[in-house]
Amino acid sequence: MTNDAQPSSRPPLHMRINLPIVIAFACIILLLLIGSLYSKSFLSPEYLLQQLKVASFLGVIATGMMLIILLGQIDLSVPWVLTTGAMMASAATAYGPLGEALAVPFGIACGVAMGLVSGAGVAYLRIPAMIVTLAINVIAQGLMVAYTGGFSPADTASDAMRYLATGNLILGVPNAILVWAAIGALAVFALNRTTFGRAVYAIGNRESAAFLSGAATQRVVMFSFAISGGLAAFGGVLLAGYAGKAAQSMGDAYLLPAIASVVLGGTSILGGRGNYLGTVAGVILVTLLQSILSVMQISEYGRQIIYGAVIVSMLLLYGREKALR
Amino acid sequence: MADETALFRMEGISKRYGGVHALEKAELNVHAGRVHAILGENGAGKSTLIKVMSGVVAPDEGRMFLDGQPISFADPASANRAGIVCIFQELSLIPDLSVADNIIASNPPTRFGLIDRKEQRRLAEEALAKAGGEDIHPRARVGDLPLSRQQIVEIAKALARKPRVLILDEATSALTASDVTKVMAVLKRLRSEGMALLYISHRMHEIAELADECTVFRNGRNVESYEQGTKTDNEVVEMMIGREYRHVFPEKTPLPPSDKPPALEVRNLSWFNKLNNVSLDVRAGEVVGLGGLDGQGQRDLLLALFGVLRGVTGEILIDGRPVTVKNPRHARSGEVGMALIPEDRKTEGLMLPMSVMQNLSFAALGQLSTFGVIDRAAEKKRIDEMIRLLAVRTASTDIPVSALSGGNQQKVVIAKWLMISPKIILLNDPTRGIDVGTKQEIYQLLRKLSDEGAAIILYSTDYDELIGCCDRVMVMYDGEIKTTLAGNEITEHALVGSALNIGTEEREAGAKPGVGA
Repeated sequence: MTNDAQPSSRPPLHMRINLPIVIAFACIILLLLIGSLYSKSFLSPEYLLQQLKVASFLGVIATGMMLIILLGQIDLSVPWVLTTGAMMASAATAYGPLGEALAVPFGIACGVAMGLVSGAGVAYLRIPAMIVTLAINVIAQGLMVAYTGGFSPADTASDAMRYLATGNLILGVPNAILVWAAIGALAVFALNRTTFGRAVYAIGNRESAAFLSGAATQRVVMFSFAISGGLAAFGGVLLAGYAGKAAQSMGDAYLLPAIASVVLGGTSILGGRGNYLGTVAGVILVTLLQSILSVMQISEYGRQIIYGAVIVSMLLLYGREKALR
Repeated sequence: MADETALFRMEGISKRYGGVHALEKAELNVHAGRVHAILGENGAGKSTLIKVMSGVVAPDEGRMFLDGQPISFADPASANRAGIVCIFQELSLIPDLSVADNIIASNPPTRFGLIDRKEQRRLAEEALAKAGGEDIHPRARVGDLPLSRQQIVEIAKALARKPRVLILDEATSALTASDVTKVMAVLKRLRSEGMALLYISHRMHEIAELADECTVFRNGRNVESYEQGTKTDNEVVEMMIGREYRHVFPEKTPLPPSDKPPALEVRNLSWFNKLNNVSLDVRAGEVVGLGGLDGQGQRDLLLALFGVLRGVTGEILIDGRPVTVKNPRHARSGEVGMALIPEDRKTEGLMLPMSVMQNLSFAALGQLSTFGVIDRAAEKKRIDEMIRLLAVRTASTDIPVSALSGGNQQKVVIAKWLMISPKIILLNDPTRGIDVGTKQEIYQLLRKLSDEGAAIILYSTDYDELIGCCDRVMVMYDGEIKTTLAGNEITEHALVGSALNIGTEEREAGAKPGVGA
């Protein structure tokens, strides 16, 4: 019973926990070096800033996904909750100056509402997250197709949306990066310094122990899904601002990358363990990988295969590391 | 004492878990055509013995013989092939499969690589007939059958493996008296057909009716084997208790009489058929023990008090005020002020991969934060206090709690709850699997807490602990409090007697010190 407890002097444990982050950053540098063999511009500040800007959209979405994965759950509703956020914000813009002013919060609120429904299903009705969020994804899709009639919506993004996604507040630094940095800072604070963050880790590690310790486990799970929904919608709002308008399948390309960047950043897919810095690394890694594969002018199918293979092999690498513990 | 006529023989079997001897040089002879009963307290080594016999665990040392030939088992399947089949306490049936599927679950008959349904059904019917369940349809869904019929299916499943030695581990504990009679009839017939049966039960009258031979186990050793009927119940109880090393317990402080309402009062608490009209009261400064055999509702009672169970009826009064404890969050709030040290620290008490600090402060985070933001300085200060108070041995508060020893992990669980300064502390077997030194520290801590005015309910499977720590002990049997012992009445004899719920005379005799002991 007590023989599985190891001697208490194991200082390298922090190192072990952070190993995936080190690997992820090493892979980022490796990718940049490989890229620079193709073109010198890969190491230029313009290219790097541009990549960070593209990464910001994924970063915002992955922040919500990380929260859910830390709980040991999954959020598959990202694609259409994201699209809902983009379309609803654009739609609000069409309703005069007040609508335009409220476009961003309205888009996010729609995502929060959908997340709340998923969260209530998972926390109170005890439906597996995979099922609930998949259902919410389809419902959101139905609602949006009904709203647009299946065509590309006519509404365009508001000025605020464009400014958030494409403007430069500080000289040369795109606003999207600042938005991601702000959300990231909030996430780090919430995860490390608040009772909410502790509860998230505790639930992901052992929900029964967290519940018996008096944590409001159901409420924490429900609000986490609401936050994830809100961030996915916010990502959609930013993307709509970036592209000028919302589009039907704009969210499809974000589900797997969001999950991949969280897990590549060392967050355990089983929940309870993970660090936001890792998610940052994962997001940049996934973005760079996509960018380099397209620069290398590999055809679409080849890109998909390589992209998937890289993710699987990196996860295998982490899995091995965990087994050694 | 090698018995050459024995069908199955164990010699010098030892098994250690960590530093604990679960079995020490145990011997056993099982004969064909006889029912051999195994008796012993909780933790006497009965379950380990069965696990060794049925190939679930490998012994550290010792030999086993079948038909006089040495034999060893790599896994339960090889024990099954050798003809040793075990029916465990918990039903191992899959409720959503049919009776036939369950009976022939492990190696179904095949034709051309596919399951031969006809043959499977024939085998199932044959096994059911042998087990006395001819009336059970092989295609019925197991989950639809009443519990007693499920037990018959369980026996049929074991019989389908053509056992020579059949082990029944508390196989009747879930059954009502009339169902037990039916099972007994089946077992007697199997005995007359020449099967060797090993029967483990806490129900003395069943053993009296069924067994030919009994062996008493204590602390991992077989104490004595005797022909059934040659010993009285009292003698058997004496053998089960033995005279053993006692722990050092702190002195009990007598509680001055007070007219204040009890810190916790429970009236007619019931929960489905697991708890029946449980009433008890605990005063501030008192340690009340829950005794009885494992699984008689003690755990459910603590969970019900802590607001974990749904559908609990009855009244709970805190300091004389009626309170409905909604959930653990409510239980730990200032209004109730209750803490529960759960049974299994690895799954219910701790988040093992998280740091010692995060585990310690988790229950008290509400008091250490403003608007949800944790005050890290205050957290550190309180944790250092707790680590000093309980003398938790840890290299640092940042290492994962899984790196601590079992005893220190248990201290972390207790310390976590002391951080909310609870008025009522419920403990579910807090010293299980930890070393003697830490046990004593925990006893002293309990006494200190009660002296400071906490009301404590302690469930323990260790009778010494109940005797040494508790001001009063309530013995539970079948979801009810059968006996309440106070002060000097708390003796091992009285505890074991009332735990086994042997007739009223013995119980009363046991409850009076000096009489019967």
